[in-house]
Amino acid sequence: MEGRKELVYYIARRIASSILVILGTIIIIFLISHVLSKNPAALWAGPKARSSTIAYVIQRYHLNAPLYTQLWYFISNFFTGNLGLDPVTGKSISSEILYYFPNTLELVLAALLIIIVLGLGLGYIAAINFSSKKDALIRILYTAAWASPTFLVSTLAILIFSSYIPIFPSGGMYSPYILPPHRVTGMFVLDSLISSNINDFLNGMYHLILPALTLAFLNFGIVTRISRNGILGVKWLPYVKVARAKGLDEKHVSRNHILRNGLIESNTVIAVMFGWLITGTVVVEEIFSWPGIGRFAYSAISSDDYPVLIFVVITFTVFVIAANLIADIMYAVLDPRIRLSGEK
Amino acid sequence: MKSSIRSAMKIIFSNGLSAAGFIIIAFFTITAILYLIIGNRMLPYNPLQINLYQANAPPSYSHIFGTDELGRDIFSRIIAALPVDLGISIFVVLASAMIGLFMGTIAGYFRGLIEEVIMRTTDLFFAFPPLIMSMAIAATLGPSLLNAAISIIFVWWPPYVRLVRSSTLQVSANEFITMSKVLNTPFRRIFMKGIFPNIVTSLLIYATMDIGTAMLTLSTLGFLGIGIPVTTPELGMMASILSTNFYTYPLEGLIPAFFLFLIVMGFSLLGEGLAEIIDPNIRGHLLSRKKRLEEINRIKSESTN
Repeated sequence: MEGRKELVYYIARRIASSILVILGTIIIIFLISHVLSKNPAALWAGPKARSSTIAYVIQRYHLNAPLYTQLWYFISNFFTGNLGLDPVTGKSISSEILYYFPNTLELVLAALLIIIVLGLGLGYIAAINFSSKKDALIRILYTAAWASPTFLVSTLAILIFSSYIPIFPSGGMYSPYILPPHRVTGMFVLDSLISSNINDFLNGMYHLILPALTLAFLNFGIVTRISRNGILGVKWLPYVKVARAKGLDEKHVSRNHILRNGLIESNTVIAVMFGWLITGTVVVEEIFSWPGIGRFAYSAISSDDYPVLIFVVITFTVFVIAANLIADIMYAVLDPRIRLSGEK
Repeated sequence: MKSSIRSAMKIIFSNGLSAAGFIIIAFFTITAILYLIIGNRMLPYNPLQINLYQANAPPSYSHIFGTDELGRDIFSRIIAALPVDLGISIFVVLASAMIGLFMGTIAGYFRGLIEEVIMRTTDLFFAFPPLIMSMAIAATLGPSLLNAAISIIFVWWPPYVRLVRSSTLQVSANEFITMSKVLNTPFRRIFMKGIFPNIVTSLLIYATMDIGTAMLTLSTLGFLGIGIPVTTPELGMMASILSTNFYTYPLEGLIPAFFLFLIVMGFSLLGEGLAEIIDPNIRGHLLSRKKRLEEINRIKSESTN
């Protein structure tokens, strides 16, 4: 079992490097929030803070201590979840992040699912009908989607599909009369399914569709583009000609010979997708009043809540790194070439 | 120089997508430059002039796109926002490309420990989700256009380092670079004559597409209300009105957002078309047999001349 040993080695190396990257990003964020500003205490306390508040903040976040001590407190506080109290709501920041985070995860995963189906499908259709009207239409569609500002698409989606043609709710995660189910994963749709409450599940799906579609529409372009180019890259290779020359029908050739090899490249993009989806959630969640971490970040900005903003940024970054790690491990399990070739 | 501009034009206009993109970009860029030269005199209204008697006016002859909640003319504000949006995004992309060119060539040419250090640093910065990190930096630095640009550059440069490094690796494997090294040519000269001309095309195409994406990030910062001063007309900030009154006066925010979309679309179309022309996988199959023959004949006649 030579391959398995290599796989374990690869996974261990990837995990170790991800931990290093997480530490590095936290240090960079620490430097930004403590060194970049001339007066970090005023920043952490907010612009209109009284001097007593500033004194408290200095003591709470150890802003008078030497820099390396501050860094130590910052990192250990993050990993122990001891982030202090949210100055706006008075609740503990870590519990707030833990509450909002699964909601964002639900939205992002739903959007990712739509992107994989829609993005790969459209890329395939465009590449097979290369240089035809269909191809041109799909290309214009994904270029337009990639070029659309998030706020334009979200607002238009609400205006069209919940105001002019009222088929979808304009926001929220579930109808206000519903009591949220017992928290297992924290994701409403999954939790209601686990507690086998079909009505709640349908209600959650009904609220999920429009924001997830919006988020997916904004980001499917890159997947379609890469899968189209990947398929075009193999479409004219000699082995495809051989397959046709053997007398296989066109459908079989395009499905089993072109599609399979053409999609390898698009795998890697889906990992990068997380970064963009997370970026999109800030505006999408705000406009759809989805109680996720993106909306939490937005409200932190508008209320000058600097500690929350910084810890939310770290959470986002760690999440993206972890998602990339999981994706990489999955590809290594699926595609032996990745783990055997080592680091590029 | 003149002939290279002409051949670039020929490439751009050989493809419907890039031609459309180029025309859109040219139109908005010329308008932005005109506004920078002429100033407010070319506009029907002063873009900063508040007129509460005219607040929330619908589109009409006197206000083509209507007015916003403070009575400022939206058409004038869009024109005034063009140099801001275009200028900052081009600045962000240029600065990132410079950083990429500098660090990428050093990493790809000298290899060894310095490459390891540069690439691991790049990986570290690559891990940040783009907009989120810009938000944190912009919030730390406070609102000003330069700070907004810095906060975006901070997360914008890593792809350029990767792109330049991999192109440099490819070019450096060529024999003419090895020969230059043997002849003891200084690095500056090898870079200017050998490496740079070979990587500039792919860099330019990537940068062109990227200006649009940078503009989206900038305008999202504006929409969220961080990094950009409140008095500066900026398309995203103008659209941020949507979060409060899109049921009552949706056009006030949708029109600037639509213009933003149009400009970004221009850059994306241009990049999409150019990528198609440059990609050797696809290029051969784009030209029909007749066109290909014509091209071969042309190259033949050029080489005999």
